[in-house]
Amino acid sequence: MSAHVDAAHVTRRFGDFTAVDDVGLQVEAGEVVGLLGANGAGKTTLIKMVLGLLRPTAGRVQLFGQPPGLEQRRRIGYVPQNLGLYTDLSVDENLAFRAEVFGCAQVGAGDLPGGRHVGDLPLGLQRRAAFAAALQHRPELLVLDEPTSGVSPLSRSELWDLIRSEADRGAGVLVSTHYMDEAVQADRLVVMARGRVVATGSEADVVGERRTLVVEAAHWEGAFAAVDGAGLRPLLAGRTIRVPGGEDDLPTLRQVLADAGVEADVRTAPATLEETLVELSR
Amino acid sequence: MKAMILKEFRQMARDRRTVALMVGLPIMLLVIFGYAARYDVANIDTIVVGPDAAAVAADLDPVYSVATVDPSGTRATAEEALRESDAQVAIVTGSTPNLMLIDGTELFVAQSALRRLPSATVPQIMFNPSLSTANVMVPSLIGLILLFIGTVITSLGVVREREQGTLEQLAVMPLRPMDVTIGKIAPYFLVAALDMALVTTAGLLLFGVPFAGSPVLFVAFGLVFLFVVLGLGVAISTVSKSQGEAVQLAIMALLPQVMLSGMIFPLASMAGGVRWIGYLLPLTWFIKGMRGVFLKDSSFAALALPLGILVLMAVVVFGAAIMRFRRDLAPRRVTATDTVEATDAAEVAA
Repeated sequence: MSAHVDAAHVTRRFGDFTAVDDVGLQVEAGEVVGLLGANGAGKTTLIKMVLGLLRPTAGRVQLFGQPPGLEQRRRIGYVPQNLGLYTDLSVDENLAFRAEVFGCAQVGAGDLPGGRHVGDLPLGLQRRAAFAAALQHRPELLVLDEPTSGVSPLSRSELWDLIRSEADRGAGVLVSTHYMDEAVQADRLVVMARGRVVATGSEADVVGERRTLVVEAAHWEGAFAAVDGAGLRPLLAGRTIRVPGGEDDLPTLRQVLADAGVEADVRTAPATLEETLVELSR
Repeated sequence: MKAMILKEFRQMARDRRTVALMVGLPIMLLVIFGYAARYDVANIDTIVVGPDAAAVAADLDPVYSVATVDPSGTRATAEEALRESDAQVAIVTGSTPNLMLIDGTELFVAQSALRRLPSATVPQIMFNPSLSTANVMVPSLIGLILLFIGTVITSLGVVREREQGTLEQLAVMPLRPMDVTIGKIAPYFLVAALDMALVTTAGLLLFGVPFAGSPVLFVAFGLVFLFVVLGLGVAISTVSKSQGEAVQLAIMALLPQVMLSGMIFPLASMAGGVRWIGYLLPLTWFIKGMRGVFLKDSSFAALALPLGILVLMAVVVFGAAIMRFRRDLAPRRVTATDTVEATDAAEVAA
């Protein structure tokens, strides 16, 4: 059986700018694939090509073994960043419209306020309504572009429960996100930077042997200022300072702290996914 | 405050449409009012018939532009010429005094003719004997209302889809571009058609405007004009990113039609170049058709030119608008600068 999504050597150029550069992507049934990358990495352009909204400049995109087309669209549920709901219609009216177009039975709004205009609902409920609309026809492939952007942690957790249950049902899920705690819930990650895929696999695969520098100091403010002043891009985790780099960078970091007269314990530790992403995006 | 003023100028300069509206519109209004906004008619298309036609024609004031002198013509010939819009004034000679038939649907032309009545001639105003403004304006206003609904309301409806991001959602649903296009435009078409019926009925009942002509021609003009204005609305929406932009463009499309269509200022009194702009506007031809149908009982043959031009405009404007709208729903082509050949699959599937 062919993969739900099979993109090979896909490139998309806009004039001189290459938004997506020779990218491959597969999504199988029952699999949640997380598409990670900084803003401008090419995630949304890739998603649009997968959906058939944009034509690749080069390469091939297939959905269910065929080029994206009318029949393939019947099997897709799509939640764009801006939700794609009619905000001046009620939740029920939006669901009814989708059900009519997809020729399926309309599901109830559940605990959503079905009679209220979508535009009057808080963002969390709007996103749930968008999910309800996209899942109504039980799609075999769910494409979600930043689906939890701007919603509370509780709502994000609920939406991810929904994504997992869809995958358990057998749907393939392609989800782009910039929340690292969400990304780790994907079965497989595809990390994009500058239009290219720079890493794939599980969180462990993506992070690999990458390490980061950890600075612990009694006067963390002074340590932070020294490292920041040296242009080493420190991140603060509690009172611990994490600096991108590995064993080779230890002497430099120690020298920077010594020059600033800061006493600190400096060591390396396994990098987090976020730190890895920052490194890969450089 | 200085920072605020500078910021505002920067924003203003970046918004090319606002600049066009602020700079282009005053110039356009000046030109229109200068060359078009004239009530005095300098040229009256005239036909002279009857045994003394040649002699009478030779003695006429220069304002009468005699196109035809027909000594064998009769009053029937003269009436026919007015009905078919071949002339605005027809002088029937051979009796004492001579008879001047005047087309009453051309208010300012008629008034000019009455002011410069040749000697030994009695006037008779045809089609609108009381020179009622309502009789002339109501058929024109039907066009203006349809134009407003077609361009402004339709363009706003389509742009809203783009603003809300639902156009993209429609493009990934199992709908053909034609389903979306027809589904989007049909409601506006029906509402505009209903509006046309309502406005016409109200015009007939409230203002006592006569309806002398063929209902079939009325419907034909209405439907064809609706296609033109809806096409205009869709075209505006395809080049507008926001509802504000759509309204700006719609104003720019509406204003010249109000001024140059012959609805307010007579085409006959406009300077040549400006009059030709009027001839390029759909409302001009719709008004010609409606006045012919409502007041003159013009035949199909007489109205074939305005109807034909509107059909041509409908095909071009509506066709181009639909193709552009379709492009929003189907995968976009790669640009000419792209060197690698793309797969045709997505395009075919769309």
